[in-house]
Amino acid sequence: MVEKSMDKEKDKTILIVDDIEINRTILAAIFCEEYNTVEAENGQQAINLLHSGRKFSAVLLDLLMPEVNGIGVLTDMNKSGTIENVPVFLITAADSQEMLLEGYNLGAIDVITKPFLSQFLKCRVNNVVELYAHRNDLERIVAEQVERLNHINRSVVETLATLIEFRDCESGQHVKRICELTRILMTEVSNDYPEYHLQPDEIENIVTSSILHDIGKIAIPDNILNKPGRLTPEEFEIMKQHTVRGCELLQDIPDIIDAGIYNYSYDICRHHHERWDGKGYPDGLSGDDISIWAQVVSVADVYDALTSERVYKKAFSPEKAVDMIFNGECGTFNPKVLFAFKKSLGRIQSGK
Amino acid sequence: MALLEDLKALGVDTDEGLERLGGNSSLYERMLIKFLDMIEKSAVQPDFDNDNYEDVIERAHAIKGVSGNLSLTPIYKTYTDVVALLREGKPEKAKEELAKVLPVQDEIVECIRKYL
Repeated sequence: MVEKSMDKEKDKTILIVDDIEINRTILAAIFCEEYNTVEAENGQQAINLLHSGRKFSAVLLDLLMPEVNGIGVLTDMNKSGTIENVPVFLITAADSQEMLLEGYNLGAIDVITKPFLSQFLKCRVNNVVELYAHRNDLERIVAEQVERLNHINRSVVETLATLIEFRDCESGQHVKRICELTRILMTEVSNDYPEYHLQPDEIENIVTSSILHDIGKIAIPDNILNKPGRLTPEEFEIMKQHTVRGCELLQDIPDIIDAGIYNYSYDICRHHHERWDGKGYPDGLSGDDISIWAQVVSVADVYDALTSERVYKKAFSPEKAVDMIFNGECGTFNPKVLFAFKKSLGRIQSGK
Repeated sequence: MALLEDLKALGVDTDEGLERLGGNSSLYERMLIKFLDMIEKSAVQPDFDNDNYEDVIERAHAIKGVSGNLSLTPIYKTYTDVVALLREGKPEKAKEELAKVLPVQDEIVECIRKYL
């Protein structure tokens, strides 16, 4: 391995891989004006350099080499994923077409034929290096924007939920606790019951969506929402409407809510008061006709309501709340969700 | 610059070779000396086995690539044919071509050696 023409002003480095020194030297001479050049005299050295954490703008790769050949280097680059970000040019005398084709199939970008035509070679390599740099830059920018969008999205959702809580005279902690409970329960359910096909990124979307479960309460009059005693049957009918009113609200602002969470939010808003035996509201769904995420948010919501003080009740102890959920005082739940709830009680109570 | 002039007389395209190295004649001369080492270590002789010549293809292929890059045109042209003939399974014909180039190759090698 030879390192030549290191110069602080040149920020790009080309890796030259060829077992014949004359070929390496000529390539280094062609590129040394614009690039730092690093040479490897076989495939293994090239692989080591590519794994060293050093950034290369391009790799010029001979195919026929002792120890590990060019195909071996390409295979390794595919395994490590560097092939996505670093353009590889195959050095060849254009007389081994099968290998060239294999090289292309393994992600090589272009072929350099011997004898080298230095002016054309420079243009071709420079063009591709610029293209890759531009693409890598765009990918970085897109990733940053996605991150920002996700952040804004979550902020919008949290802002909406905070507004509701203000009216509800709650501390703002309710929504945070529902999120945590939902995350713990969803993770447990997805681990124990693969039949629900829950992926980690979907669980995150469900957790974010759970924030909005009570958004419809904004449409419930103060005298009912904050009534310090038992609701009359008529008042309770109005209170129950917070589920469908939440959905109406979401329908009016679909652009504000990210597409990834809109459907979950809608479903959770509408169905977080359904019960396993069909005795919930508003649609009287039963069993797994209720989505698993709505079922999970139901249990989380009930547990948190029981353990929190409200205008109409004192807080129950966690133990008492668990008893009430399991003995059916709060309606019936999916046994699988209850099992997951039981298993995660330790984590739920420690808040981790 | 006498070496390059002598080589030019032997059919070497020294202008092209120099241009490839950005006009760096001392680097060109150093590479020519490397070529000498290469020929000494792995020259292809026309007495190889007609049934088993994979290693001959590899050596001829390497000489072809380097001679092309150094613009040793007569050597490059012949080795291009030799490699092609060997890949086509025509070792006898390859040997004929090789026999033709060896005197030229020797001349070029000797010319470079004079300037060592």
